[in-house]
Amino acid sequence: MALIAIIDDDPDIIDASSIVLKSKGHSIITASNPNDGYKIVTENNPDLIILDVMMDEPDDGFYLAQKFRREKITTPILMYTSISKAVGMDFNKSEMVPVDDFVEKPISPEQLINKVDALLNKVKESI
Amino acid sequence: MSVDLQKKNILIVDDEKSLRAATQLLLEEEGYSVVSADCGTTGIEIGTSNEFDIAVIDLKMPDVDGIEVLSNIKSKFPNTICFIATAYASYETAIEATRKGAFGYIPKPFSPEELIYNIEQGIKQRNLVLEAERLKKEREERLLEIANEKSRLNTILKTINDGVLVINLDGQLTYFNYAALRYLNILDFKIGDKVIQKLPNEIIELYDKIISSEKFLIKTYTKQIEILPNNELVIEAAVTPIANPDGSLAGIVIILSNITQFKKIELIKSQFVSMVAHELKTPIAAVQGFINIILDESLNISDEQKKEYLQRSSVRLKSLTDLVNDLLDISRMELKTKQREIENVNISDVINSTIQFLELEIKKKNITIDKNIQENLPSIKADINEITRVFTNLLSNAIKYNKDDGSIYITSHQENNFLIIKVRDTGIGMKPEEKEKLFNEFYRAKNEKTRNISGTGLGLSIVKKIVESYYGKIEVDSVFGYGTTFTIHLPINQN
Repeated sequence: MALIAIIDDDPDIIDASSIVLKSKGHSIITASNPNDGYKIVTENNPDLIILDVMMDEPDDGFYLAQKFRREKITTPILMYTSISKAVGMDFNKSEMVPVDDFVEKPISPEQLINKVDALLNKVKESI
Repeated sequence: MSVDLQKKNILIVDDEKSLRAATQLLLEEEGYSVVSADCGTTGIEIGTSNEFDIAVIDLKMPDVDGIEVLSNIKSKFPNTICFIATAYASYETAIEATRKGAFGYIPKPFSPEELIYNIEQGIKQRNLVLEAERLKKEREERLLEIANEKSRLNTILKTINDGVLVINLDGQLTYFNYAALRYLNILDFKIGDKVIQKLPNEIIELYDKIISSEKFLIKTYTKQIEILPNNELVIEAAVTPIANPDGSLAGIVIILSNITQFKKIELIKSQFVSMVAHELKTPIAAVQGFINIILDESLNISDEQKKEYLQRSSVRLKSLTDLVNDLLDISRMELKTKQREIENVNISDVINSTIQFLELEIKKKNITIDKNIQENLPSIKADINEITRVFTNLLSNAIKYNKDDGSIYITSHQENNFLIIKVRDTGIGMKPEEKEKLFNEFYRAKNEKTRNISGTGLGLSIVKKIVESYYGKIEVDSVFGYGTTFTIHLPINQN
C-alpha cells in the first residue's frame, strides 16, 4: 500500500481517481494547483505523484515536474494529459519531460490501477 | 500670303524684276507653288516666316546679299534646300555659300532646263532630308518610349510589396528590389555579385535542383522559410526558372512574399482549436470518470455516493452544453451569420429584466442590488438579445464572484454621445496579471477563491465582442480582494 499525491485542478477528477485508488488500499493526498502540489509532495514525501498537465496555466504540470526533478525529488510521476502534449504550447522543450508515464483523460479505473501498480513496482525493484 | 501645302513651295529672291517674273512663271507651269521676294530683306522676312522646300537666292542684291539671306533662312529652317544664283560666281563665294548651307549653285544666265533640273535635284534632296528627319524623330520617340516603359517596370518592381531577385547560371545577381533585401534580412546587394551562397539554404537547394537538371520546366517551386526566429519573419520563396529566347536556361527569378501574419494567424487558430478541445474534453473526462467508478462493481460504491456522482456529472454536462452554446455564439459573431434584429433598446429595461432573470442566484447569496440609472436615457439601436447577453454575463459574473451578503452597484448615465454603464461588485476582485488576460477566450481567474465557481471562460470574451460590434468599448477596474467594476461605453445611435 502506498501514499499517492494527486495534483489536479478538477475536483471531480480528484474524487474519481481517489475512489479508485483507495479501493486498492492506497492513501491519498490531494492538491488543486501547482503551489499546493509542491507543498504536499515536499511535506509528505509520497510514493507516487499523479500530476495533471494543465492547471492554472497551460503546461504548468510540466513545469512542476521539472521543478521536482531539479530539486532531486525522484518520486515517480504519472502525468494526466488531455491534449496539451500534442500541441506543445510554450513548454520548454529543451528539458526532458521528466515524468515516468502518461495517461490520457478520461481514465478507466483498470488503466489507472495498472499504471500505478507498474510504477510502484518499478520503484520496489530498483531498491 | 498663302502657302500651298500640296505642292512643293519655292521661294525666289531676286532684285531683277524680269528674271524674277520669268522664273516664277516657269516654275508655276511645272506645278510648283512659287512666292517671290524683290530684295534681300523681304527674302529673309518671307523665308523665315514659312518653311519653304526650296529657295533660289540671288547673290548680289542692293540691300542684303544672298549669303546673308541664305544663312538667315538656314538658321531658322535648316531643311530648306537653298540655291545661290549668280552671274559673278567665284570660287570663294561658292565655298562660303556651301559652308553656310547652300545645296548648289545656279550660274546666271540659266536656261529653263538648267533651272528645272536643279530644282528637281533640290526636291530630291529635300525629300531625303525630310525622310531622314522623320526616321530620326521616330527613333527618338521609340527610345523615349522604351526608356519610359523600362522605368515604369522598374518603378513597379521597386515598389511592390513582394521581393524580386533574378539570378543567372553563375549565381550572380542580375536584378533585385528592396523588398527582397528586407525579406531576406540582408543589408545590401550589388548587381553582378555572386549572391547565391548568401541566400537561405532552402533557396540554394531549389537553385541547385533547377540548374543541375537536364531539362527544365517553367514551373514554380515554393518553400516557406523562417528568416527571423520565433516566427518573427516568415517568407514564402517562389522560385521559377527563366529561359533564353532559344529555350536554354538563363537563370532563376525568386519572388519573396511576407507570410508572417498568415503564420501568426495559423498559430492562433491551432492554439484556439487545442484550447477548445481541452475545454470540451475536461468535463467529458470528469463525467466519464464518475461513470467508470459507478459501473465498476469491484469498487462497491454506495447508492448515495452513486447519486452524488450522477448529480455532479449532470452539472458538468450542463456546463459542457453552455460551453458549446457559447462557442457557437462566438463563431456566429465572427462569421457575422447571426441575424440581428435592430430595434430601439431601452438600457434601463434590459437591466431590470436581467436582474429579474437572475433573482434566484441573487437571493441565494443574499446580494443587495443598488441601481442608479439616469432618467430618460436615450434608447440605442441594437439587437435586444445581444444587449441582454452583455448584462446577463456581466451580472452573473458579479454574482458568481461576489461574496455572500455582498452588493452590486449598477449605474448608467449619458456622457456626450455615449451611454456609460457601470457594474461594480464587492467580490473577490482580480490581480493585475489576471486583469490583463480577462477578455481572452477560455481565460478564467484561477485562485483559491475561484475554485468552486463554474463558467465557460467565454462570457467576457462574448461581452467584449458584442460591445465592440456596436462600436462601444469595455473597461475593467479591479482591486484584489475588494471587487471589480466593469464600465461599458455604448454610442447612442444617430442617423
